[in-house]
Amino acid sequence: MTKDDRFQHFYQKYYRRIVRFYVRAFHLSEEDAEELAQDAFVRFYGAMDEYRGDAEWAFFETIARNVAYNRIRSQKTAKRSGKMVDIDDPGFAHEPAAPEGPDYAQREQDEIRSKRLREAIAGLPAGKRECMRLWLSEYKFDEIARFMGITVDAVKSRLRDARKLLHARLGDADALPEDEE
Amino acid sequence: MTTKSEWQEANRALEAEDRQRLGEPPAAEEVLAYMRGELPAHEAARVCERLVAYPELVRTLTAEFPAEGAEPGDPDYMPDDEFAKHWASLQRRMPRKEPGRVLQFWPAISAIAAALAIVFGALYWQARTERAVPLVADLQILTPDGRRGGGDEAVPLTAQGDFYYLVVSLPGTPVFDTHRLEIVDASANPPRSIWSTSVLPRPSSEIFPILVPRTFLKPGKYQVVLYGVSGAREERIDTYTVRVRGR
Repeated sequence: MTKDDRFQHFYQKYYRRIVRFYVRAFHLSEEDAEELAQDAFVRFYGAMDEYRGDAEWAFFETIARNVAYNRIRSQKTAKRSGKMVDIDDPGFAHEPAAPEGPDYAQREQDEIRSKRLREAIAGLPAGKRECMRLWLSEYKFDEIARFMGITVDAVKSRLRDARKLLHARLGDADALPEDEE
Repeated sequence: MTTKSEWQEANRALEAEDRQRLGEPPAAEEVLAYMRGELPAHEAARVCERLVAYPELVRTLTAEFPAEGAEPGDPDYMPDDEFAKHWASLQRRMPRKEPGRVLQFWPAISAIAAALAIVFGALYWQARTERAVPLVADLQILTPDGRRGGGDEAVPLTAQGDFYYLVVSLPGTPVFDTHRLEIVDASANPPRSIWSTSVLPRPSSEIFPILVPRTFLKPGKYQVVLYGVSGAREERIDTYTVRVRGR
């Protein structure tokens, strides 16, 4: 079987599933997901010659995740091309409308409270802190475990410890509510 | 009682602070090494901390991947005629092989004339539309760090025009089909990436010219970083340290 034949078979087997993966995991449009999938397959094709092994799918998984990582990372890096406007431009100068929402005192109080919470999270020991922050970012226990390279039980244990430490620091009023996955 | 959403709001604010403090997310090769457990403990902790400040990137590493492919007969299996259509578009994207290419002394100026520069899109467009006078770009060929001699100081950028026309040359570098370029603000603490390209095929001219608006680079030290990309692997090939003087 030639390289192109192998690639064709691989592509036909996996293309639709990889597009679906990108759509589901990263909330991409079908079009963007297809674009990303093509990118991954092109890189896979380019690396086929140097790859020696049976687990092509595992190899492709690394490429596919890497492509997604680079895409999202570059979106964060390429953001600095904002349009500059002249502050003296008459079209720019305008009276801003009064903000809607809570009054100044309320906002001040909210900010103080938020700062306390931020400091409490930041003060957690490394390991527990990352588990807690990923949990707050809606990651599931098994995803946190995979990322941290630890077991699901270790994640649960670290989260329990983190809750206790936060409670000891902040008291009942700011206790983190119990929550399952 | 503080609600979970208030805690989440505080965590998001903490992410914004961390992004300021820690800089850009780690490069893909660092992340790969982290996920494979290949980094020493202190490096692993640093990568982990930076990634947690960008939780949307963590998703690329943890999202559940399809367990297996589809076999013929399965609705997910792409039919031959559909593959034929995809194949045409894939061919256009694939880096072209140039058999027998000899990498030796490189005739810089003629190659540059034939090359298409990578420009800073929005800023370039803005400059073109806002300026009535012609754009001027002085060409500057970059020599990699460690190969310049003379104490290997950062190379001062000397352009007097509207743009720096920086030329990264590939001869003598490991042969990759594709590359990526990045500009890092080395004066920032910590250094942070301020611009990067997507993956680019290795050009037949063996150079990457980069057209950078002068206004984009404030006085300070910068590194143009050349990566070689092969499949999942991304290798830092060369760094070109430059200095922009105060005006």
